[in-house]
Amino acid sequence: MTVLEVSDVRRSFGGIHAVQGVSFALGEQEILGIIGPNGSGKSTLFNLLTGLVRAGSGKVRLLGRDITGWKPHRIARAGMGRTFQIPALFVNMTVQENLYAAAVEGDWKTARQRTGQVLDLMTLGDLRNELASTLSGGQQRLLEFARVLMRDPQVILLDEVTAGVHPTLRQVILDAITRLRSEGRSFLVIEHDMELVRAVCERVIVMDAGQVVAHGSFDEIAADKSVVEAYLGVPTQ
Amino acid sequence: MNCAAAMIPGTRWQQSSLLVFLVVVATVPFWADDYWTRIFTGVAMWSALAMSWNIMGGYAGYISFGQVAFFGIGAYTTAVLMQKGPGWGFFATLPVGAVLAGALAVLIGWPVLRLRGAYFAIATWALAEAFLQIATAAGFTGGSSGLTLPINASTSFFYYAMLVPAAVTFVVCWLLLERSRFGYRVKAVRDHEAAAESIGIDTTRVKIQAFAFSAVIPGVFGGIYAYWITFINPTSVLAGDITDQMVVMALVGGLGRIWGPALGATLLYLVDRQFIASFGETTAYIAVLGGLLALIVLFLPDGLISLFSRGHRTALSRQLLVRLLPGRGGTTGRGGRL
Amino acid sequence: MTLFIQTVVNGLLVGGLFVTISIGFSLAFGVLDVVDFAVGEWVMLGAFAGVASTTWFGIDPIAFLPVVFVVFAVLGWLLSPLIYRVRTSHYARPALMALAFTFGIATLARGSMLTAVGFDPRTVDIGVVSGTVTIGSLHIPALRLLGFAFAAVATALFMLFLYRTRTGLAARAVAQHKEYAGLMGVNVKRVSSLVYALYAGLTAMAGVLIGGIYSITAQDGPLYTLLAFFVVVLGGLGSVGGALVAGLLLGLLEALVTVYISADYTLAVVFGVLFLVLVISPRGLLRRGLA
Repeated sequence: MTVLEVSDVRRSFGGIHAVQGVSFALGEQEILGIIGPNGSGKSTLFNLLTGLVRAGSGKVRLLGRDITGWKPHRIARAGMGRTFQIPALFVNMTVQENLYAAAVEGDWKTARQRTGQVLDLMTLGDLRNELASTLSGGQQRLLEFARVLMRDPQVILLDEVTAGVHPTLRQVILDAITRLRSEGRSFLVIEHDMELVRAVCERVIVMDAGQVVAHGSFDEIAADKSVVEAYLGVPTQ
Repeated sequence: MNCAAAMIPGTRWQQSSLLVFLVVVATVPFWADDYWTRIFTGVAMWSALAMSWNIMGGYAGYISFGQVAFFGIGAYTTAVLMQKGPGWGFFATLPVGAVLAGALAVLIGWPVLRLRGAYFAIATWALAEAFLQIATAAGFTGGSSGLTLPINASTSFFYYAMLVPAAVTFVVCWLLLERSRFGYRVKAVRDHEAAAESIGIDTTRVKIQAFAFSAVIPGVFGGIYAYWITFINPTSVLAGDITDQMVVMALVGGLGRIWGPALGATLLYLVDRQFIASFGETTAYIAVLGGLLALIVLFLPDGLISLFSRGHRTALSRQLLVRLLPGRGGTTGRGGRL
Repeated sequence: MTLFIQTVVNGLLVGGLFVTISIGFSLAFGVLDVVDFAVGEWVMLGAFAGVASTTWFGIDPIAFLPVVFVVFAVLGWLLSPLIYRVRTSHYARPALMALAFTFGIATLARGSMLTAVGFDPRTVDIGVVSGTVTIGSLHIPALRLLGFAFAAVATALFMLFLYRTRTGLAARAVAQHKEYAGLMGVNVKRVSSLVYALYAGLTAMAGVLIGGIYSITAQDGPLYTLLAFFVVVLGGLGSVGGALVAGLLLGLLEALVTVYISADYTLAVVFGVLFLVLVISPRGLLRRGLA
């Protein structure tokens, strides 16, 4: 079953064609990787999917509903969450407050419970009363991931979520992704870490200059000449 | 057991000093003379006004330069309704002013809060200036000659008329902004609007609600003020200086905290009264306000209250030193507050 | 009918001055990324400098213009680093903090001038031209023609600077892509100071002429700030071309309202239009501005 369907989405900024006719489908419990050189339009694509930026043309369907043109908060409530390339935390609030802000409307008890669950999953329990600005880079990414989970989204978009993260924390993230996937969720993952992509993503899309230049399994695209030409990412040892 | 005590933050020492403070404040007319009672009346009003600006400026992160428009609406509503013709009672006029102010906020806010903060500042400011001009020109507001209200000479009446709403304002603000999820959402909008949207917060709606809330407060106090000073004209209730003063009070005291504006208001109001006592009603005070605002933004944007926070004291002195060194712009990166 | 044409012409002529003010203001916004609430005070201070030129120095204000430019450019040059510092600080919402800073400066200027000269209106005594010029059945005040001529020259020079000099190129680069401009070797801080200084000098000069066409009081700063905002919002924040169109439009609107409705309601009408534009087309009438 397709949870996310992207059809010929386009967006230009003045003369810059940031995203030119991108189409793909994301299935249930699938992890789809998106790779490509800087400036290839990956983050813009995320902005388009989550409604932060209006698409010039094209359609996006989430869980069967046409969400093209919807406001970001409405899309978030419909079941899509995302993290940002540069962690977008509420720096003047504590870890716990960051999560409370993301809690679904309703009673406090449920909100507190959910916060506790999410903190445990991300091993952030000890830091719950720390100001978000005092966290390390890796902890900030964990918090951002945690915050996304507060609304229990079906589709999760992760933008370079392991960039600059200490290996131990990286493992926490990977474990979380695996566990969440087994519980029925799907992921769209922008990454530069090829090792992670190979390990975790079933399929990979390669973007360059706003277009999809290749897609398939990691091995397939690794062998693809056009990918190698556009962008060479060697798995780190 | 003692649920109320559990809800109020702070140590035993802080709680008892708070209690003493409350008793002192509640009994002012009994131990202070008329002059000082009037001073404290003004302090109560300005504390609440500064807090109202703080809701948008400190908690939502949107600077409004038009708060005085709502104050003026409240003042003129009460003044007009208390004229011989309609002949309303004082207390009945207040809700009307509040509703009008809130409605205007929603009307103005809805289109403008979807845009960047700079547009909001401009639009609110332009609104206030336009109101000033309309009030000066229009007939039913008495034009530039203004309106006179029924006289009430009781200083203690007005003290409580200002104090009770001020106390209610602070309690409601504290509950809504520091103890509810609405507060977290408002602060989320301030800290990172895009992220707030992406976690399901309808930021426009939150902003409008905060704005309406911040408008209702001056809407009420404008009405009380009009009755208090008995005579109003456009300059006394719609001048931009009133907004300036609110802004400076909130900034001097400290944005984004509940007690900041009260601290700033008390300090500045006393300074203002002293200024007038020494130099008379003078336009120099406007220059002082402006200069103070600029200085605070440059050197103490977190306000005086940040000096009291334990962790901040050392950090702040460090920051001040860094800023005074030429060429250094201050700490960057995830340093944040500490 | 003649009255209408007369009004239109008068309005467009003074609109030229609004354009001059707004172009500088718009660019300053683009480069410094701050809405300068003190723009009207630069106009007011410039106008009073024009008054001083005859009362203190006995020089015609027009001859005094270069002096005005230099003095206010220096003031702007000194003030700009402070704005820049607030703008680049790490506090929550530095852009709005910088806005509050300029608001403080504006209030300081207004309060100081009020204390220094009081509430009385003054007029800049421009002796170089006087009376009206008659073209056909239209009687155009020579002062307005002079004002327009000045505005045209000043705007043209400013555009020349922007599009034909290397510093101008740097300024435009900073306005469009601050981060990248820095990486390409542009000294963003210095360019910002230069742009702000130019804008302050230019605006003060326009103030001299405005003070001649209209009178000026120490309280008029906010009025001109509002008008500058109007032009820039209508034309689109950051769009120089938009400021051109909107400036002329404002002059037109102001003249029409004064003649056909009442001078008392100009602000209210201006605000009404401003508000409408923000609701319908926040990126300006030409949709060239930043959202």
